[in-house]
Amino acid sequence: MCEATRRPAPVRLACLRSLMTGLMMLALLCGAAGCHPAATLPPGYLQVDIETSPLSLDPRFGTDAMSSRIDELLFDSLVRLDPHQRLVGDLAASIERPTPTELVFHLRPGLRFSDGRRLVARDVKYSYESLLAPGSLSPRGAMFSELAAIAAPDDATVVMRTRRPYAPALEMAMLGIVPDGTPVTVRGTLGAPPGSGPFAVAAFTRDEQVVLRRNPYRPAAAGSPRGIVFKIVPDPTVRALELAEGICDLAENNIEPDLLGYLGRQPGLTIERFPGTAYQYIAFNFRDPHLRDLRVRRAIAYALDRRAIVDQMRHRTARLASGMLSPENPYYTGDVMRYSYDPAKADALLDAAGYPRRADGWRGLAFVYKTTPEGARLAEVFQAMLRRVGIRLTVRVNEFGTFYGDIQRSDFDLMSLQWVGITDPHQYQMVFDSKMTPPHGLNRGDYSNPAMDRLVEAGDTTLDPAARRAIYRKVQQLAADDLPYLSLWWQDNVVVMQRGLEGFQPYPNGSLRSLADLRRGPRPLAER
Amino acid sequence: MKRYLARRLASLLPVALGVATLTFALIHLIPGDPVVAMLGENASPADIVGLRHQLGLDRPLLDQYGAFLYGLAHGDLGRSISTHEPVARLIAERFPATLELALAGLLVAILMALPLGLAAGANPGRPIDLGAMGFAILGVSVPHIYLGPLLMIVFSLDLRWLPLTGRGGLAHLILPALTLGTALAAILARMLRQSLVSVAAADYMRTAASKGLSRRAALLRHGLRNALTPMVTLLGLQFGALLTGTIVIEMIFSWPGLGRLMIGAISARDYPLVEGCVLTFALTYVVVNLLTDLAYGLIDPRIRME
Amino acid sequence: MKRRASNVSLLLGASLVAALVLSAVFGPMLVGSNPEAIDLAHALAAPSRDHWLGCDALGRDILARILWGARISLGVSTVVIALSLIAGSLIGGFAAMAGGRVDEIVMRAVDIVLAFPGFLLAITLAAILGPGLVDLIIALAAMGWTGYARLVRGELLTLRERDFAQAARALGAHPARILFRHLLPALSGPVMVQASFGVGGIIIAEAALSFLGLGVLPPAPSWGNMLDSGRAFLLVAPHLTTAPGVAIGLAVLGFNLLGDGLAQLVDSYRR
Repeated sequence: MCEATRRPAPVRLACLRSLMTGLMMLALLCGAAGCHPAATLPPGYLQVDIETSPLSLDPRFGTDAMSSRIDELLFDSLVRLDPHQRLVGDLAASIERPTPTELVFHLRPGLRFSDGRRLVARDVKYSYESLLAPGSLSPRGAMFSELAAIAAPDDATVVMRTRRPYAPALEMAMLGIVPDGTPVTVRGTLGAPPGSGPFAVAAFTRDEQVVLRRNPYRPAAAGSPRGIVFKIVPDPTVRALELAEGICDLAENNIEPDLLGYLGRQPGLTIERFPGTAYQYIAFNFRDPHLRDLRVRRAIAYALDRRAIVDQMRHRTARLASGMLSPENPYYTGDVMRYSYDPAKADALLDAAGYPRRADGWRGLAFVYKTTPEGARLAEVFQAMLRRVGIRLTVRVNEFGTFYGDIQRSDFDLMSLQWVGITDPHQYQMVFDSKMTPPHGLNRGDYSNPAMDRLVEAGDTTLDPAARRAIYRKVQQLAADDLPYLSLWWQDNVVVMQRGLEGFQPYPNGSLRSLADLRRGPRPLAER
Repeated sequence: MKRYLARRLASLLPVALGVATLTFALIHLIPGDPVVAMLGENASPADIVGLRHQLGLDRPLLDQYGAFLYGLAHGDLGRSISTHEPVARLIAERFPATLELALAGLLVAILMALPLGLAAGANPGRPIDLGAMGFAILGVSVPHIYLGPLLMIVFSLDLRWLPLTGRGGLAHLILPALTLGTALAAILARMLRQSLVSVAAADYMRTAASKGLSRRAALLRHGLRNALTPMVTLLGLQFGALLTGTIVIEMIFSWPGLGRLMIGAISARDYPLVEGCVLTFALTYVVVNLLTDLAYGLIDPRIRME
Repeated sequence: MKRRASNVSLLLGASLVAALVLSAVFGPMLVGSNPEAIDLAHALAAPSRDHWLGCDALGRDILARILWGARISLGVSTVVIALSLIAGSLIGGFAAMAGGRVDEIVMRAVDIVLAFPGFLLAITLAAILGPGLVDLIIALAAMGWTGYARLVRGELLTLRERDFAQAARALGAHPARILFRHLLPALSGPVMVQASFGVGGIIIAEAALSFLGLGVLPPAPSWGNMLDSGRAFLLVAPHLTTAPGVAIGLAVLGFNLLGDGLAQLVDSYRR
């Protein structure tokens, strides 16, 4: 071997050594710099883990469940739902209906926003008008299309006028109120306006956390939380771990049913389950010519073994649904067509519809199914079940923001989502009326049925309760017959929380409103 | 030395240009209409025309290329389709996290490789050598996508010593860095061992022994020196793998860095953002290669003479 | 001592690779269960007599999925390596034989592609081309061809000056004949070594792309997407992760050992 491998002079070696040391210091520095102060929870604060960032903290915009949950704690509305699904006055002390097209609200005295401003009728008027302004592009606009005018004759009175007698008018009064003059930003993505709710936003770091602090202008019960940190934890295992380790105080409806067994065995945790109104469904896009055929939709309905999914995959944390309204709803009827698992019937229907099986087992029917990572497993189950009847389902998984954008643009063949918080059956008009396509409405599948249009429009304008119930009975029957949506199940509310937390009030729509009054045992919420 | 430095720096520009051009070509190679891919098939024609104009896609390709380079020179990488924020800002926010991860991985690799490689090289054929080299070949064969979850199961779920995911401090850095650095550690350890073994046979070892140095000390000293150049070569060659490895690590550990941003952008068909991320990764690699070359020049004067 | 060491690597590597190939080819038939048949009642079932490796989140037999996944991994890797090899060798060989200006230009182009981290190139191409087996193969092949191009060119340049080549030229043989008859066979050693390590790299790259959702998509059983699906159940069903992870590890280990063994073999022949 060659003798003289020139050895590097000491100077060079020293240079390199210092370079290495420099690199190491840099790495350590970065590590230290990356330290987040959020690791420690402020005293008296509650930590609630959620799975995705709310899309908007402006109540005029957020239609996704996460936004609604948090908005409820930040903003008050004229009326709100009580734990029995009834509408009661919130900002409004009393409500009158002098004529069929008018609602008069008398505001309670002494209301204030979290920045100290008084909440008066003008703020209410502004909230609605800014939402309905043409440039706002709010996806919530559909709900208020019947609002002809809103007036604030004095500081404590709000008058809503509708174009025609409008049965669900009171539901329009559920909008969170923001101060007069709050600007409308692009899709409501930036900033949270001050509200009059029990909490106000202290910080919002997208994809990390939403920190709420008490609204100083609202009395709080002794021992109740001084603030809430909604920590965004997309990983379901981490959410379960944080509960098990006591880092997270409470998590609602975002724990995988498979992990509930594990969590149930943790001595420090308690699991509460109660029936929910959240309605999981599959939507069909009627722009696809094959899906326009009722036989194809019915075949898909018969091909899915929902009982197996609910019992085995979801571990019985849901009830099989027959329609959008759950039995808790006063307008519910169970007298509708039901689809039990019957693949033979599905095969027969597809054959009759003109899609016979080919030699390779497929029928030449192929659809694109869109979902989020949380729904990917369910998607695969649907894929396998439809494959048995010869329908090819291609699954596209995207994070929630992208997925939501796609479905708002009707860019899907099939998709599955949940309607959370359905109260008034007016919902049918918003999702099934042929005029209510996005961005204005929620008819994402472009469903068009004149009989349905007539019924839902009549339902909106019929004030007599008995007559209205009769109409919606027909609506539910038609929806089950015609299948614009395939009903899957009504999701139970499952709350996992630290043992010793008292005062949690279950709401069928999953509302977290009672967080404001949560207490830790007989003692107030102490430091951790 | 200065001339060497100047020459190497001068080569930076054409290579960077080449890489940027390749990135531009890749992104604009999208089959079909990228705007339709971004907006969906049911988008209105007005929306499609609007977005196409906004992205400048209705201009001739050469114009677009020129605009791209101009923007690049001024730090403007366009705007994200999903959030409307400037791509450059989004990348700047996330890049430090990725850098932290990559450097930590490098550190872990070196810290693991040194004792393993040196111990193996100083005792060839003995159990420690076989054990270390066995570990090394395993380290190179087990992919990140399994090593990560494996470490998570053992250290986070079973032992509860370390946090599972996310970024937050030294404890959060350990598992991702370990996962990232193990493969590199394995390669490095093998190289170190090789270097020691080849040095052991050399003539100057006898000279060192006659000078009174203990055999072990001499072996280590000369072995390390001998290993310097190949080590730098290796690190330079492997840095690309390390950097792209962060992409997978960030997805496994929910690390808020550039890799996760890029995968999200791909999912959202946010092509301006994808382009920006790819460019950043590629240019970082180019710069690191340059630094490696410079380090070469520091170590071995012969190279500077070329 | 040297001889014995190379035998161990070669032996072990070859055995692992052989086992892999045999399982991929015959395994699915022997095991019989359908890798895509869901059975919700057995979701996340632990290993048992009926299901040796347990069941995944949809009740599918993991052993069946591993064996079918072996077909995908091996199949894709083989095609990709073959593609990279042929493309790279042709380009490198062309550059070496043409020499001069052409050689310089081609090598500059190779340098630019090399300045781009390989896996990043694969991700970008996979993202652009979309899901699908053919697109995946193209994306992965783009990663490795440069290595072969450089290798072949380098070796050819050395070999060109060797005795037998000069003798052949002196005898008036056509350059192409020299290439195919004399030079390429001499190349096969180093190329085989590179290819062996390459397969390991491609298996990992394919798994990573499938893991990221850019490669083989569910329900097709790729080891990579099995690892991705298993992530949600680390707490309650780690066996979903162990099986595909160990499979990849063993496969890559086999090819790495094989490459090691081959390298030592080639070295000993050279001396």
